Amino acid sequence: MTPRLRFEAISKSFPGVNALSDVSFDVASGEIHGLLGENGAGKSTLLRILSGVFRPTSGSMFVDGENVFFRKPMDARGAGIAMIHQELQQVPHLSVAQNMFLGHPLTSVGGLFVSKREQERRAAEALSMIEPGIDPAAPISSLKVAQRQIVEIARALLDRARIIAMDEPTSSLTPSEFERLAEVITKLSATGVSIIYVSHKMDEVFRICQRASVMRDGKLVGAVDVQTASHQDVITMMVGRELMQEQHVSHASATVKLEARNLSSLTKIRDASFKLHRGEVLGIAGLVGSGRTELLRLLAGVDKFSAGSIAIDGKTVDLRNPRDAISAGIGLVPEERKREGIIPVRSVTINMALASLGRFSKAGIIQSGKLRNTAQDLLRRVNLRPLQLDRPIRLFSGGNQQKAIIARWLASKSQVLLFDEPTRGIDVGAKAEIYHLIEALAADGHSIVVVSSELPEVIRLSDRVLVMRDGKIGAELARADLTESAIVAHAIPGADTGKTPAPAA
Amino acid sequence: MTNSPAAADTKLPPVFGRFSFSLRDAGTLIGLVVIMAVFATLVPGFLSERNLINILQQSSINACLALGMTLVIISGGIDLSVGPTAAFSAVITATLLLSGTPVPLAILAGLGIGVACGFVNGILVAYVGLQPFIVTLGTLSTYRALALIYTGGNPVLGIPAGFRSLFNGSLFGIPTPVLIVAVVALAAWILLKKTPIGEYLLAVGGNEEAAYIAGVPIARTKITAYVISGGLAALASLILIGRLGAAEPILGNLWELDAIAAAAIGGASLMGGKGSILGTILGAIILGTMRNGLTLMNVQAFYQLLATGLIILVAMMIDRATRGRE
Repeated sequence: MTPRLRFEAISKSFPGVNALSDVSFDVASGEIHGLLGENGAGKSTLLRILSGVFRPTSGSMFVDGENVFFRKPMDARGAGIAMIHQELQQVPHLSVAQNMFLGHPLTSVGGLFVSKREQERRAAEALSMIEPGIDPAAPISSLKVAQRQIVEIARALLDRARIIAMDEPTSSLTPSEFERLAEVITKLSATGVSIIYVSHKMDEVFRICQRASVMRDGKLVGAVDVQTASHQDVITMMVGRELMQEQHVSHASATVKLEARNLSSLTKIRDASFKLHRGEVLGIAGLVGSGRTELLRLLAGVDKFSAGSIAIDGKTVDLRNPRDAISAGIGLVPEERKREGIIPVRSVTINMALASLGRFSKAGIIQSGKLRNTAQDLLRRVNLRPLQLDRPIRLFSGGNQQKAIIARWLASKSQVLLFDEPTRGIDVGAKAEIYHLIEALAADGHSIVVVSSELPEVIRLSDRVLVMRDGKIGAELARADLTESAIVAHAIPGADTGKTPAPAA
Repeated sequence: MTNSPAAADTKLPPVFGRFSFSLRDAGTLIGLVVIMAVFATLVPGFLSERNLINILQQSSINACLALGMTLVIISGGIDLSVGPTAAFSAVITATLLLSGTPVPLAILAGLGIGVACGFVNGILVAYVGLQPFIVTLGTLSTYRALALIYTGGNPVLGIPAGFRSLFNGSLFGIPTPVLIVAVVALAAWILLKKTPIGEYLLAVGGNEEAAYIAGVPIARTKITAYVISGGLAALASLILIGRLGAAEPILGNLWELDAIAAAAIGGASLMGGKGSILGTILGAIILGTMRNGLTLMNVQAFYQLLATGLIILVAMMIDRATRGRE
């Protein structure tokens, strides 16, 4: 039987990175096929090729045995391929039906008018197959994320999609919402639609998929029969080495470097108090939206707090903007590197020096020799590859961009480093390097805060973990008590410890 | 952090070369050479020393404005108000001169008006948070109105010779406007390439959010760009009234468009974060050359406008094509 979808030797390279090399696998019709891999393994790149956003550098794709070649996203859509992105691409103030017909509205009088009522009728029809409770006339912003996802699926049905690719669909869903989604997906596959389910969460894939392909560093490392494989097999395939098993060494001293007292913000944070010691790595865990990023932004002076205070070395500091935080010795390595971290067209050296240009200047003129020497030293120290100081930072891989941002805070001699999702969008090799860098910085006496959604990462790095919930610090876990289930138990509102999405293994 | 002395003399080229001549600037230069070559074959005497100096002189006002515009564009903004700023500054300077104010004082006052106009633009952009296009569209009308109201719509005539000789004379055979703009260009080049402010401009235009988190003083940086643009608009107006001997409240109409065109031809990205001082100067000279050459060929004004428009579009298309995707 011809497979519904076949990837044959797909490769894709960007300047400075081989995002995909020689990926081949099949998806049968009606199959729910898992695509597993760490962040940066190449899953999203593969999906973008499937949906016509990128063209492969080489290789071909077949849909129902027919060789397809997509020049643009509309081509993929025409071939029956629908994408459901992690960040839902919907227009918030438009209605459910309008969103479902976005870009190709139903019209009357020869395309002159939009037939709103007909759109709503057809939308309701598609929705009724999977989730009848949604009102097609309601604004999309009034729906929960899980419902919005279902709207996207219904939209794919309207397009008569034969293949639906879902990119990390559960990243902001609660466990019960996941169950609902799993039902919908299973129902859909029974009608012959093939699903590609992309996730880095193994238990989800084990729960709903029949087969899974595992990717690492842009390559397909193997196919897994979900019925027979064990979690441990898959982890080893995904990570490639015993990255998470390394010995944890604490460098925390008794000296308090930073103390937050009763911090509150107008938007999210409520009454957060904690101490950060010299040489300590403090993890902050919690669900998406629990206020982790917001707390870091308060500490970094990016957002203002409405009550409370922050003290460095026992002295209260006034943080009105990031400049104040930087002079107090606090540096933020933000989550969204492209948006908040780098100046893409500028050289890696300038990106490194941006927070401390004053240090490299004399009488208002930048001393290029001094800047260059420091860049050589620091960028070598963080193991930037390639070590080309004048190369625009956008041409570096995600991991190397991250190293340059870390070097930025070394250049400014910051003592407190705040990491928000330090390894998001970074390939596995560089991930290990970032871990080692964080540990080396702590050993050097830096005080470090790490916010991460990846529990193994938090556990691997932290001397101590704060678990946030609804803008508050819900619990503090010492190194000895750090387990995934303990963190999850404190992170989920009203969680009864047994029924958490912690790994079954 | 220890500085290893060995790293000082590495083989890699320095970040800030003595004179970093980028590929993009080379492209603009080639464009200029091609245009000059075409005119040289069509117009006898086009390449004479006198005509070349003429071109530079005719380009100087636009180049002066375009330098300021380049800095604003690099910061991610735009300054549509340069023409009216120039006019307002010109009528004030001229009135002061007529009332017997010493020349240096009148010049300072004129430049001060330009700086003040730029400062207002900067405050509205950086602190009030309005979009640069809208802010300077509003002040475009406002400043023009101030110039018209101040003069009652009449030109200020009879600017004293002492002032005129300063801006309309020559030194070693080179017209003073050309020298003035050359000095300004050098200063702008140093600002952009060698100072933290230059890096801040590039960073704010390249990614404002990231620049903020990296501690770049966003507001101060933006205001600086508009202040410089306003000051240079005033300087351009002084050059003009020095040449004409009169200040009209309607002078500088559509100057902003030529300035933007010169900056864009020279490689400034209207998205911000990119731009070149040398490129802008070359861009201004390209526009000046076009006008000069076409006039010498007795091409009608309508067709001159057409040719200038096409040159801008062709330059941008070549730019796009050579940059490739992304």
